[in-house]
Amino acid sequence: MPRTVSAYWLKLWRGNPPGIFLALLSLVVGCAMFIPVLYVFVRGLQGGTASWMRLMDTRIPILLQRSLGLALVVTVLGVVIGVAAAWLVVRTDLPGKRAWQWLLALPMVIPPYIGAITYIIIFGPRGWLHNLPGAHLFSIYSFGGVALVLTTFTYPYVYLICSASLKRMSRSYEEAAQAAGFSRGAVALRVVLPMLRPAIGAGALLIALYVLSDFGAISILRYNTFTTAIYYQMGSFDHKAASILSVILVLISLTLIWLETKTRQGQKFYVTKGGLARGAEIPLGICKWPSFIFIFMLFAVSVLLPLGVLGYWSYTGIVRGALDQRFFGFALNSLSTAGIASILSMTFALPVVYLKLRHPSIVSYSLDKMAYAGYALPGVVVALGLVFVFSNYLPFLYGSMAMLIISYVVRFLPQNMQAVEASLNLVSPRIEEAGRSLGLPPWQTLFKITLPVVAPGILAGGAFVFVSALKELPATLLLRPPGLDTLAVRVWIEAGEGFYHAAAPAALIIILISILPLKWMLSKY
Amino acid sequence: MDAKQILSEVKTISAIELNLVVKTYLGSSEPAVKGISLSVDSGSIVTLLGPSGCGKTTTLRLIAGFERADSGEIKLAGKVVSDMSTWVPPERRGIGMVFQDYALFPHLNVRDNIGFGCKSHQRAERIREILALVDLTGLENRYPHELSGGQQQRVALGRALAPHPVVVLLDEPFSNLDADLRAQMRLEVKQIITAAGATAVLVTHDQRDALSISDQIVVMRDGRVEQIGSPRDVYQHPESRFVAMFVGDSNIIPGIIGPDTKSIETTLGLVPCNHTHDLPPGQPVYLSIRPESIELTSEGSVEGVVESLSYTGQSVDVKIRVDQGVNPALILLAHLHPEEKVQRGDKLHFRIMPDFVAVIREH
Repeated sequence: MPRTVSAYWLKLWRGNPPGIFLALLSLVVGCAMFIPVLYVFVRGLQGGTASWMRLMDTRIPILLQRSLGLALVVTVLGVVIGVAAAWLVVRTDLPGKRAWQWLLALPMVIPPYIGAITYIIIFGPRGWLHNLPGAHLFSIYSFGGVALVLTTFTYPYVYLICSASLKRMSRSYEEAAQAAGFSRGAVALRVVLPMLRPAIGAGALLIALYVLSDFGAISILRYNTFTTAIYYQMGSFDHKAASILSVILVLISLTLIWLETKTRQGQKFYVTKGGLARGAEIPLGICKWPSFIFIFMLFAVSVLLPLGVLGYWSYTGIVRGALDQRFFGFALNSLSTAGIASILSMTFALPVVYLKLRHPSIVSYSLDKMAYAGYALPGVVVALGLVFVFSNYLPFLYGSMAMLIISYVVRFLPQNMQAVEASLNLVSPRIEEAGRSLGLPPWQTLFKITLPVVAPGILAGGAFVFVSALKELPATLLLRPPGLDTLAVRVWIEAGEGFYHAAAPAALIIILISILPLKWMLSKY
Repeated sequence: MDAKQILSEVKTISAIELNLVVKTYLGSSEPAVKGISLSVDSGSIVTLLGPSGCGKTTTLRLIAGFERADSGEIKLAGKVVSDMSTWVPPERRGIGMVFQDYALFPHLNVRDNIGFGCKSHQRAERIREILALVDLTGLENRYPHELSGGQQQRVALGRALAPHPVVVLLDEPFSNLDADLRAQMRLEVKQIITAAGATAVLVTHDQRDALSISDQIVVMRDGRVEQIGSPRDVYQHPESRFVAMFVGDSNIIPGIIGPDTKSIETTLGLVPCNHTHDLPPGQPVYLSIRPESIELTSEGSVEGVVESLSYTGQSVDVKIRVDQGVNPALILLAHLHPEEKVQRGDKLHFRIMPDFVAVIREH
């Protein structure tokens, strides 16, 4: 066999090489997504022993304690609430269970920083409850306050994954346990809970990852963790310290992601199928109304209260003329940056996913993994990386709207890739071979056959990206050109100043737009 | 021997020629296809038959160009499409392909599926012709999910035939159909391919598909060609134990070529046989006796006892124990006419007819 370049090329792609254009495009996209995070890492490691020692002695122990402590408490609370809610809503005779099933998922559309604002309005020093006796015992600007807010808006991760898992679980296991003489409570604890373990694990890690990466809620509640510390170091142009803190945050996140993939591998083992999916509901008896009150309270604090507060302040704001020329300018900024980011991500998601699924090789696999870097890691880290890359290599774009849009693509392209991958997985490669056998070269097959078939997935992914970009806070704050404020930025600034009437209408608009792709999001779990 | 076969047919241009084609999948140590040579005449229907993993689908995909051969040569209509220096991609090979799951384009209706590979200037007319050929006129605006399994199959076949391909390749075309429809589609597919004057290569693991539809059957095993022949040839005169047992049922017994070379000496006595490969008298061989060649008759020289039986409607399948003093006793499978009334323990007299008896190569 001749050892030529083309032979190596064929071997690299396991005898199934992609077109050169597809390969190049994916290479560029994959690297562009990865380089900013890599840059932060390199800069952090180059920070020098002295800086590392100084930070290790001073800031890092406190930040570690705060970040990990917050992640731990919120995760535990979120798991308890999420599992209880899922079990009550799926398995028991809870009144109104059909409606609760989707109502309890609604907090997903409320960005935690907006939720935090509504809680400040209620519990804050000048809030609605401050005259109540005993109100001074609880401060929203505290570990407890931050934990409360984050739990309220992240429990749906566990709730959604667990209720999907409960719905798929065959009733035969429970019936077998009952037949063996176990009481209902014992069945729930000794049969259902262990089988839910992979779902709980996956949901818990999503919560933990979110808490580690959150910037908006934590900064508005004036707490200090790694993300806010990195943000303020960048604000004072101490990029070295910001990089070092980022490296530690990235390492913690990667550990959690690694743990999550481990649990997902185990999940295959637990997948249950067959059997009777719909059995008798478990009667709650005297616990029925207490359970109902629990579910209602959960809904009230996570949806009704925030929306009520926002509704009230929006009304006040609109009466006072908050919807002025400036407001529409901010809305236009939001729509145009999020819109362009969404279009770009719809363009770039397919090549990377197509290469991974149709031309499997070490190259396509690595490019796919690299593209997830900006999504898996906290927004402040991505922003820091982009600051490095643009100030060093693309100074003419530094501080431009293009840089902001690129940051959205780097952060959220994987959402689009997931949607495309889900729909491309359903398309048989035989359909593309049929196109080839009928005389179409590969790139025409991609356009005339694959693209029309996966178009719904691409559009759904585009909607996810649009909504995420609309809500995005840390990268927008750090990278926006002077004078270009988005709705999310205005909400954060106005609320920080206490101008709730100015913040509320923008917050409400963000939530309303976020509801649009919720249908797709729910079908994902 | 296969290479000789090809040389003798070199004068007439074959639709397909494979010459010592080898293919090893990455990550597997053993080749999936181990030096296959075969040629397919224009206008014939050839079936690659074999158990799963025998390399038949790989061979089909090598012809289509969805896989690359490691070595060997593939020619379509006399033109080399794959050898050490040439590689023609699937879209320029002029093949039509019918996939196991049909792979109809879900976003296109029947008309656009069929017309997908047609040149634009005669597209409408060709679609009309094909719709009539595959009997789908009137359904041209339906989408694939609105069609039955048999209709989807006909669309897939029509789509493959529409651009006048050099050869149509069919990958397990009947495996997604239930038994009744399967029998019907075998006839229809054969009729459509013949009416279109096309050359077809079909892959199946079902001997009934192969026997009923093909002009030639290529029996494959472990990446090699085991036997090539007409359906009648392969069934009546299997050349190996594998072919005898895979295509239908058979009784395999040892024997020695008789002095007249037209019969074999066995423990059942002298068995007449017309297919002895011209082996010399006295040569020890194995004999394949199809269950159909056992005929009950009171003058029969062989005697046996019914060990078990099952009535299938079309025949009575009987296992007959023949005690010849050898240990263990010989058990013969016989397909008797369904009228025959036999019971377990009955003593039967029978003889062996020569038509379904063949000497086989034994490995």
